[in-house]
Amino acid sequence: MKIEFEINNTRREVDSPPMRRLLDVLREDLRLTGTKEGCGEGECGACSVIVNGEVINSCLVPVCQTAGASITTVEGLAKDGRLDPLQQAFLECGGAQCGICTPGMLIAARALLDINSQPTRDEIKEAIAGNLCRCTGYVKIIDAIEKAALDP
Amino acid sequence: MAVGQNVLRKEGVEKLTGAARYIDDIALEGMLYGKTIRSPLARGLIKSISFDTDFDWSPITVCDWRDIPGENFVALIENDQPLLVARDVRHAEEPILLIAAESRTLVEEAASRIRIEYEELTPVLSIEESLDCREIIYGDDNVFKRFLIARGEVDEGINQGDLIIEGCYRVPHQEQLYIEPQGMIAIPTDTGMTVLGSMQCPYYVHKALKQLFNLSDEQAVVIQTMTGGGFGGKEEYPSMIACHAALLAHKAQRPVKIIYDRAEDIAATTKRHPGVIRHRTAVTRDGRLTASEIDIVLDGGAYVTLTPVVLSRAAIHALGPYRCENVRITARAVATNTPPNGAFRGFGAPQVAFAYEMQMEKIALRLGIDPLELRRINMLKEGDITATGQQLRWSVGSEDVLNAAVERSHFREKQEAIQIERASGDSRKRRGVGLSFFFHGAGFTGSGEAKMKARAGIEITDQGRARVLSSSTEIGQGTQTIFCQIVADELGIGFDDVEIEETDTSRVPDSGPTVASRTCMVVGRVIQLAAREIKEKIKRFAAELFGAPEIDLMEGRFVEGGKVLASFAEVAREYAAQNGKLKVESQYASPMGVEWDDDSYSGDAYPAFSWGAEVAEVEVDMDTFEVSVLKITTAQDIGRAIHPLLAAGQIEGGTLQAVGYGLTEELVWDQGRIVNRMLTNYIIPTSMDAPDMETVIVEKEYPHGPFGAKGVGELPMDGAAPAIAAAVLNATGAFVSEIPVTPERLMMIHEGTRRESNED
Amino acid sequence: MRGFEYASPTTKEQAVSLLGSSDDDAMALAGGTDLLSLMKDDIVAPRRLVNLKDVAELRGIRLLPDGSLRIGALVTVQELLDNAIVKRGYASLIHAADGITSPQIRAMGTVGGDLCQRPRCWYYRAGFGLLAKDKDGAALVPEGDNRYHAILGNTGPAYFVNPSSLAPALIALGAKLHIFGSGGQVEMNLENFFAAPTSANEKEYRLKPNEIVTEIIVPSAGGWKNATYEVRQKESLDWPLAAASVALKMSGKTIESARVVLGHVAPVPWRSGEAQAYLAGKTISEQVAETAGTLAVARASAMSHNGYKIQLARVAVKRAIMKAAQGGQR
Repeated sequence: MKIEFEINNTRREVDSPPMRRLLDVLREDLRLTGTKEGCGEGECGACSVIVNGEVINSCLVPVCQTAGASITTVEGLAKDGRLDPLQQAFLECGGAQCGICTPGMLIAARALLDINSQPTRDEIKEAIAGNLCRCTGYVKIIDAIEKAALDP
Repeated sequence: MAVGQNVLRKEGVEKLTGAARYIDDIALEGMLYGKTIRSPLARGLIKSISFDTDFDWSPITVCDWRDIPGENFVALIENDQPLLVARDVRHAEEPILLIAAESRTLVEEAASRIRIEYEELTPVLSIEESLDCREIIYGDDNVFKRFLIARGEVDEGINQGDLIIEGCYRVPHQEQLYIEPQGMIAIPTDTGMTVLGSMQCPYYVHKALKQLFNLSDEQAVVIQTMTGGGFGGKEEYPSMIACHAALLAHKAQRPVKIIYDRAEDIAATTKRHPGVIRHRTAVTRDGRLTASEIDIVLDGGAYVTLTPVVLSRAAIHALGPYRCENVRITARAVATNTPPNGAFRGFGAPQVAFAYEMQMEKIALRLGIDPLELRRINMLKEGDITATGQQLRWSVGSEDVLNAAVERSHFREKQEAIQIERASGDSRKRRGVGLSFFFHGAGFTGSGEAKMKARAGIEITDQGRARVLSSSTEIGQGTQTIFCQIVADELGIGFDDVEIEETDTSRVPDSGPTVASRTCMVVGRVIQLAAREIKEKIKRFAAELFGAPEIDLMEGRFVEGGKVLASFAEVAREYAAQNGKLKVESQYASPMGVEWDDDSYSGDAYPAFSWGAEVAEVEVDMDTFEVSVLKITTAQDIGRAIHPLLAAGQIEGGTLQAVGYGLTEELVWDQGRIVNRMLTNYIIPTSMDAPDMETVIVEKEYPHGPFGAKGVGELPMDGAAPAIAAAVLNATGAFVSEIPVTPERLMMIHEGTRRESNED
Repeated sequence: MRGFEYASPTTKEQAVSLLGSSDDDAMALAGGTDLLSLMKDDIVAPRRLVNLKDVAELRGIRLLPDGSLRIGALVTVQELLDNAIVKRGYASLIHAADGITSPQIRAMGTVGGDLCQRPRCWYYRAGFGLLAKDKDGAALVPEGDNRYHAILGNTGPAYFVNPSSLAPALIALGAKLHIFGSGGQVEMNLENFFAAPTSANEKEYRLKPNEIVTEIIVPSAGGWKNATYEVRQKESLDWPLAAASVALKMSGKTIESARVVLGHVAPVPWRSGEAQAYLAGKTISEQVAETAGTLAVARASAMSHNGYKIQLARVAVKRAIMKAAQGGQR
């Protein structure tokens, strides 16, 4: 089945069985391997991408459900070789350690800041509640998102 | 200067843009997908294996134990764990067959067409069943290893005490739960085998590969890819997966990738050792410990693997950071028919830390002494002697961390406020505050480092940059960054002029495994020495080149008398042109006077200890017994913090992992198999569960560490569980002797305590 | 996961015609948060998936002329949380939806999917079947690790708990369900939708393989105080240990009638007749709420490891009542 969508502001078309996970299409067909698989059950959030403005787990979405959608992955955050303010803040605040949860975290944080440019720490915690991190204790991730909101 | 500064992490940008390549991000031409066929049984004999004849097996590569060219063992401490079961199944999820095919769908389909028949045997599934010896599954008595640590005269010490206090503590399995599941790719080469993958210890994998195919050092090549967390879970188990992928690759003569899914990863790989720890302590009325008898039993699982080393660390840390002249510590690790337990951050210490700290709480309770006061009375200080007879000669931050944690958390004020609140009525939500005090030996135990002789080096590249050569892996903790900081400052060049060689056994020497809080303190030291030697060499060369005997190298420039003569890169290029590549390799040597006796298990167990104190504040719902951790204040003496931000990240992350250990993380077993093998039912803390954390880094410099640094990796894992349990005790009066403190467990204890006090 | 075919109808008639006579033939796909996990773990393996996403009539929240609220089965949890009408009148529904904390699951998970998600029983999820039996047919739960299993309605053969987050609140609010099948539309009280299976080939809800849930109708909650209280071991991701939802029809300060529904304690959302009968005619107080809680679990019985849940359920009922009394603030 041919499916067309917009990924990171570029129109793409893939030919894929409709029930393949969006995650696999991103990683295998489009070689956008920044989106990670941590559990395959929608629990860890490492596979988070933004679809039409909402953060979803790409491991639970059949690609057919994204026909015509606008999708943002971690590869779409930096623009013209410049890091997104969130990426810069993660770098400076120590928000990334092993890095495997980082793409999903950045995506969840981006979706938050897109609708709420000045979130409280509690709002940040809620926004990343679907993204597990085992390295940081979340402190420096929350610091980073707060910083990115303050100096965008 | 770079040391002490929060420079940007070396591999930061690639991790943030999604460009970093983890093992599952790599796809090779002609690559097959491999899968492991495992036993559902905990113990039994394989009677037959049959392959569905209606299925086309021609595109499937199948390996069993007969395909192993060398010995059928994973090379580790003892050769007892097979790569593939030949006949005797000793634990559930034990690998029996390997299959590979061009697609994952095909490999799954093939897996469903294999039938294995077993003769079931009675499994040994708990410490108690192992100790009762009704079924013997290892040696004569199911005991893998024993240790005895004895100091002073315990009987005499007991007589000196006014009171004897006994306690029995239980700690559970814990899953590392790195977010990147385990995975490897094996590539057959003309001369041997190359393996890429997610791992902590490339040279462990290297050793296992060499043994598997009888390869030379050069024929086996192991490359660590970007690794999404380890926590010990990628210390020894990757050797197994690498050998499996390599066996398939060897047979198929094509690259083979094996990636575990989450369920397989939880079910089959190593866990933290569960244990039962008994304390019998004699104390005087004024709170001095006069004798301590401690008995430790850890469940090793089905094979020896790293269990003796974990047991050793547990035994050495068992008394805690306390003074006691008369000590007897007995430790045993027993075999069960469960997947082998292995390395996990803390490596035996978090288990015993929960026990010794709860024992201190119990003593305080019985004596009516304030728990903080009891710690102060007995804490080890500089000059004191540990259970193994080690005199603490340097870098003892015990008092500093305790004071810092108490002050920063306002422990005393909180204690009082809680007392007042309690007196003013019986709220259904009760607050509590609790303390823990702990220490952690950095580096290998005893003579480990002296025997290991870690090697690391530096070479100067053609561009005139310094490149670090080490097999210590970056697993998120910041190895690459701190190594570059150390080299930059020791050599006198900029942080950006230092780079890291890929962790590839064909290019870097064996620095030992990336474990045991040894990377910074031990390997960092070796790298510092290499940098020192490079500096001497290039300075001598520059002095001759410029006829400037007083020349010095500072911030990447050669200067004499305030005048800049040349850049480091210029001189380095000139050096290479005249003398060839400048490269230095150094080796670890124990500091003078650090001695250990393996026979009597006494002496200097570690060159230095890191010290920690932690205050937890909890709120307990007295109807539902939900425990919320509101705040954790922790002070940790890690010597000089090479990178304070990364160090704080280690402390915060380790602390939260320990909160999970204390509160929610528990494996559910059914006939030796893990039932909760998903993230929906193995519960690790999320952002919503994480308490506020305040971290104080105390820097008692260690004279033999790089710039005074000690270890930081594991210490943070030791303190949170007992601090939370102490806070729960403070809040509810319920004494918790087993973790995790689930609502269910707490409710039972509370009911019991209430009944007891009613009976009184 | 096996290979299967896929269909994407645009009307409910088409959707139903594409479904078959058993789950092996075909299953309906809404948000996918549960179904895709089940397929991945080979717990279910339909030959065809019918994607409901493009069936527009299953979407949307709107007021009906009689003042009741119509919630399309495909409404997401996030849409529910954001809806002004729901926020104004149906606090208990907001509380229940709020318990689902992962933003990703809120964005993907649907109301219909929440009602039809399969139990979280770990034996079921590990492949031992809905009734969790070993290979000799013996029930694993009563003597196994049943810490999260049922304390009410647990005489067997089903021991799991109903996993729905929204059902207790919806039932307490008197919601009805519209089900569409080959025979047309049927209306059913949501409460009657759920039933504990008595054999391995039954499900825990009454939806034939060729039927779909199209919408949920919630009567006006005017004059009803309502709230949900969940007890959970952890803030995010997991399901509550116990929950209770209440709706209290008030006449001045007196409770005229009450609906009390417990979640995660029985194979179905558990309506407590005892608590309801007791509450009628009472004025809300701590003591009254406490007694209602005690009555709600009077018939509960513990298995080997889940006795603590009786206490949790009791407290959940009490707190839900008190929360409703306080106007149901979050």
